[in-house]
Amino acid sequence: MIEIKNIDAGYSSKKILKNISCNIAKESFTGIIGKNAAGKSTLLKVLCGILKPFSGQVLINGHNVYTASKKFLSETIAFMPQNVDMNFPFTVKEFVMFGRYPYMNMFKMPSEKDYAAVDEILKFTGIETFSQRYVDELSGGEKQKVLIAQTIAQETDIMVFDEPASHLDIGSLADILHLLRLLNKKHGRTIVVTLHDLNAAGEFCDNLILMEDGNIRNSGNVEKVLNYKDIEEVYKTTVVVKTNPISGKPYIIPVSKDLQ
Amino acid sequence: MASKKIKILIFFVMPALAVLVFIFSLKTGTKDISFFDTFKALFGYGEESVLTIIRQIRLPRIIMAMTAGAGLAASGCVFQGILKNPLADPFTLGISGGAVFGASAGFVFGLASLSWILIPFSALAGAILAVLAVYILSMRGKFNSKSMILSGVIISYIFSSAVMLVFSLSKTNQFYSAFVWLMGNLSAFDERLLPVVIIIVLAGTAILCLTGNIINAITLGGQKASTLGIDTEKTVKIIFLLTSLITASCVSCCGVIGFVGLMMPHIMRKIAGGNHSLLIPASALAGCIFLPLCDTLSRILFAPVEIPVGVITSIAGGIFFIVLMMKRDGEIL
Repeated sequence: MIEIKNIDAGYSSKKILKNISCNIAKESFTGIIGKNAAGKSTLLKVLCGILKPFSGQVLINGHNVYTASKKFLSETIAFMPQNVDMNFPFTVKEFVMFGRYPYMNMFKMPSEKDYAAVDEILKFTGIETFSQRYVDELSGGEKQKVLIAQTIAQETDIMVFDEPASHLDIGSLADILHLLRLLNKKHGRTIVVTLHDLNAAGEFCDNLILMEDGNIRNSGNVEKVLNYKDIEEVYKTTVVVKTNPISGKPYIIPVSKDLQ
Repeated sequence: MASKKIKILIFFVMPALAVLVFIFSLKTGTKDISFFDTFKALFGYGEESVLTIIRQIRLPRIIMAMTAGAGLAASGCVFQGILKNPLADPFTLGISGGAVFGASAGFVFGLASLSWILIPFSALAGAILAVLAVYILSMRGKFNSKSMILSGVIISYIFSSAVMLVFSLSKTNQFYSAFVWLMGNLSAFDERLLPVVIIIVLAGTAILCLTGNIINAITLGGQKASTLGIDTEKTVKIIFLLTSLITASCVSCCGVIGFVGLMMPHIMRKIAGGNHSLLIPASALAGCIFLPLCDTLSRILFAPVEIPVGVITSIAGGIFFIVLMMKRDGEIL
């Protein structure tokens, strides 16, 4: 259970999050949506203990994220930032192994257990076919999968992903979000993810948090948050909300201004 | 290359090559000595003149070359990792600038004639000054790679202007000594420094070899490293000071030997991949092979005239780099 209590946060003097409070239940799948610069990534950084808020606190199972030890955090919450540097020619397998870092011994050498875990994750994420290729030579979609595999390798109860599906074609997008759903439904991980694509958010997440200018505009299950009124006001455009005939989840299409 | 082959290369082939280079460098020179006589002399038997050449002239110099080669290459590899920039080298952060300034000032103020230890000492003082300046400047940017590289570049510029100032005030003979030193030279160091340098460089390099996985995690960037449980700022500070100490010890004895710290990690990365837990020892071994070879070349190429080893390392490294670049479809980084 993650409790976010009265968070004010931002960078140097600029305040981005304004008095945010919400709870994220254990083993839930939560999507955070909102316009650019609404504070989605900032909220994730505060949640993971990377960015210290000006005031307020984040409790994970009752432990304050900013006073908890790095060891506790690294074994409880894994984070995939939007920007991970991939400048060096690590093989995919080596790169995924870095996610095992919190479990390595004093000399930070991987054990048999770490190798076994990485092999399993390579299979789970479907990247074992290119496990010996260098990460700096992969395509965008492949890189994204490798980064997700690295985050999964940390084997934490809570996994947080910042835009895991940006710039991907619809097939890769569905692949990656399905993977996160499996982690949630089969392995009981708590998943928090920011998404730009409202339809992907509606289809794959169970709960949504809609952010606007550093505040939470609406939160709850997908059907509650994806109503045309809130979406139109936040995104300042006319939309139609329909129901996916197969999954029963809501989807959204914008309406062209000259056709209204 | 498969990881098993890489391990065989690093832990068996390269050490064997290092031993071969050691023996080859010992026997080769203005006076060529046979393998048999070289071995005999190494263990203290044989003619007096051969004993002197092998044990007193060539041996310390080759040991210094191997030590400095390993230290510079390992430091270069680590700098490239923590700065997340494959073009960094041990001198990116101004250490060489500081050392050159210290040594040139030493030559110009006539310290060389006072005591043997004053030139290496003033070089070390200059290097430490530069490291401290970069350290303090980087603190404002919380030791991220940008703030460190920027501080390093600024400090290097300031020191190179200071060197020009010192040179413009100097006399011709002092200028020459300083100039030779500046190009990197393995013939001029004092043997009494050798044990100290060996201890610092080898112990430091051994520690660096153990930090491979920490550096791997740091290359992912501060946010990811932080959620993996690493205090990036603190770790980078400690590693920066350690690598600076290694580089400064090498530079204060041998001058500025360029390209070893940049090229060795680069070449090994092409062969062995980017994993720093293998790459750091591999680079150290490569430096340990490359520098004595270059030094031997510098002794025999224009014998009896010796050219500064820094010239050879830069030319050899540059040519090797060009070949590598042509092979790899122009992809250097």
